[in-house]
Amino acid sequence: MLSERECERYKRQMMLFGDEGQERLKKAHIFIAGAGGLGSPVSLYLAVAGIGTITIADMDEVDRSNLNRQILHFDRDIGRKKTASAEEKLKEINPDITVNAVDMKIEETNAANLVGKADGIVDALDNYPTRYILNDVAIAKKIPLFHGGIRGFYGQVTTIIPGKTPCLKCIFPKAPPKEVFPVVGVTPGIIGILQANEVIKYLLGSGLLLMGRLFIWDGMQAHADEICVERNPACVACGSVVKKKTTAGKRK
Amino acid sequence: MTVKIRFFARFRELLGTDIMTDVVAGMMFSSLITTIAKKNPEGYDAIFDEKGTFREFVILMKNGKRIDIADAAKTPVEDGDEIAVFPPVAGG
Repeated sequence: MLSERECERYKRQMMLFGDEGQERLKKAHIFIAGAGGLGSPVSLYLAVAGIGTITIADMDEVDRSNLNRQILHFDRDIGRKKTASAEEKLKEINPDITVNAVDMKIEETNAANLVGKADGIVDALDNYPTRYILNDVAIAKKIPLFHGGIRGFYGQVTTIIPGKTPCLKCIFPKAPPKEVFPVVGVTPGIIGILQANEVIKYLLGSGLLLMGRLFIWDGMQAHADEICVERNPACVACGSVVKKKTTAGKRK
Repeated sequence: MTVKIRFFARFRELLGTDIMTDVVAGMMFSSLITTIAKKNPEGYDAIFDEKGTFREFVILMKNGKRIDIADAAKTPVEDGDEIAVFPPVAGG
């Protein structure tokens, strides 16, 4: 049940999706991997939208060079754990939600546990090896992975629904080399908000998700492209999921 | 015959995009991208390794369909093809 305070807080969005939609958001648990450039807008917008439980994981401390884009963290937070800073800000911006901050490196051995019973995973990471770990967790748990990536003025977003869409490995089978990437804060702002928009639509069960669609943003040209992406039946990560589904379909 | 090449992200910064180019019949996918990329050594290096083969993370698409890097040298381009070449964007 929504409290009177919640009904007031969410009044303007409940005009869009009613009590039922708001209850769905309240009941949801979203895992956000990363409290950096993408994790900041994703978590802030999911928090104010009233996602009932947000778990946000990061292992780093706030550095001055993060502050051009990681809007969860302020100048006073330099040197603090990003998780502590994130938890404080998210609880302040919406005291009606539950925030779990996990100060830990996401690894193959702990990822499934960290994600727990979350209804979806937001990829707000800065590297592909960890993304692949979460891709495996999403496939195993059959929960969506909301992918985002940025560099400079460019960004990409797609929504991965295991069994229905290509997985991250189908789309990007090989990781690019690691680099200190250039970035201006507006890019993760735009991409993170698109990821949060996908999460909200998914939880509400309405709208058209970026399923099988890789959305590519070019901020310099102020232009967006969409590339249709397909499942790879031989994918090392999700190939068996696809195969099982196909076999089941054939039996009918 | 004419084809259109679209680069994305870092590749676009280095090589531009929406490049319309005339190609001879039978030209293979990899030769075409090599020719275009050579216009900027840095752009070429971003896409190809020292042996002149596509870097393993490069994504190639022809009219919205994925072309495996291993098949790029034996896939001919055809009139009106729209070709996309892009890297995974990794930052977050």
